[in-house]
Amino acid sequence: MNTKKLALLALLVSIASPVAQAQIKHIEMRVEGMT
Amino acid sequence: MKQHLGRQSGVQTVEVSLIDGKVEVTPKEDGQIDPAQLLKATYDSGVTAAEMDMTARGKIVKDSSGNFALQVEPNRSFALTPNELSKGLEALVDTPTMVTVRGQLYKKPAGKKKADASAPLKLLILEVQKKE
Repeated sequence: MNTKKLALLALLVSIASPVAQAQIKHIEMRVEGMT
Repeated sequence: MKQHLGRQSGVQTVEVSLIDGKVEVTPKEDGQIDPAQLLKATYDSGVTAAEMDMTARGKIVKDSSGNFALQVEPNRSFALTPNELSKGLEALVDTPTMVTVRGQLYKKPAGKKKADASAPLKLLILEVQKKE
């Protein structure tokens, strides 16, 4: 029973992880008029 | 401006370089950061954004208008400005392949003091860093 649950969990993690890893990693701006 | 940007949703850190006019924003991992909101917050703090670049990881999708886009969150995607690099990614549309790209989201139009901050941001890909 536990093995089945673990297998299901591993499957869910493998499906969900690519979407979860999509993200904005860094933003850089060049600005004018900053003092 | 640093405090103003630091209060925006999804922002972890803001580094400002007065010498070269660069502002570096590190997002939190909660995916709440909104580049358009950052641009607006920059204007609200009294300075003019000349350019905004972004490094992001996501999937290539086709939006409702049939344009290619980079989806960085389930509910956030950026339409791609067509160029050679974006054409090279078109084959990845609707595949599970994740791409990491660096691109330009905004550039102040020449001759204008301030651009329309409400216009949707389009991503001009400058570099494809990773496909996986």
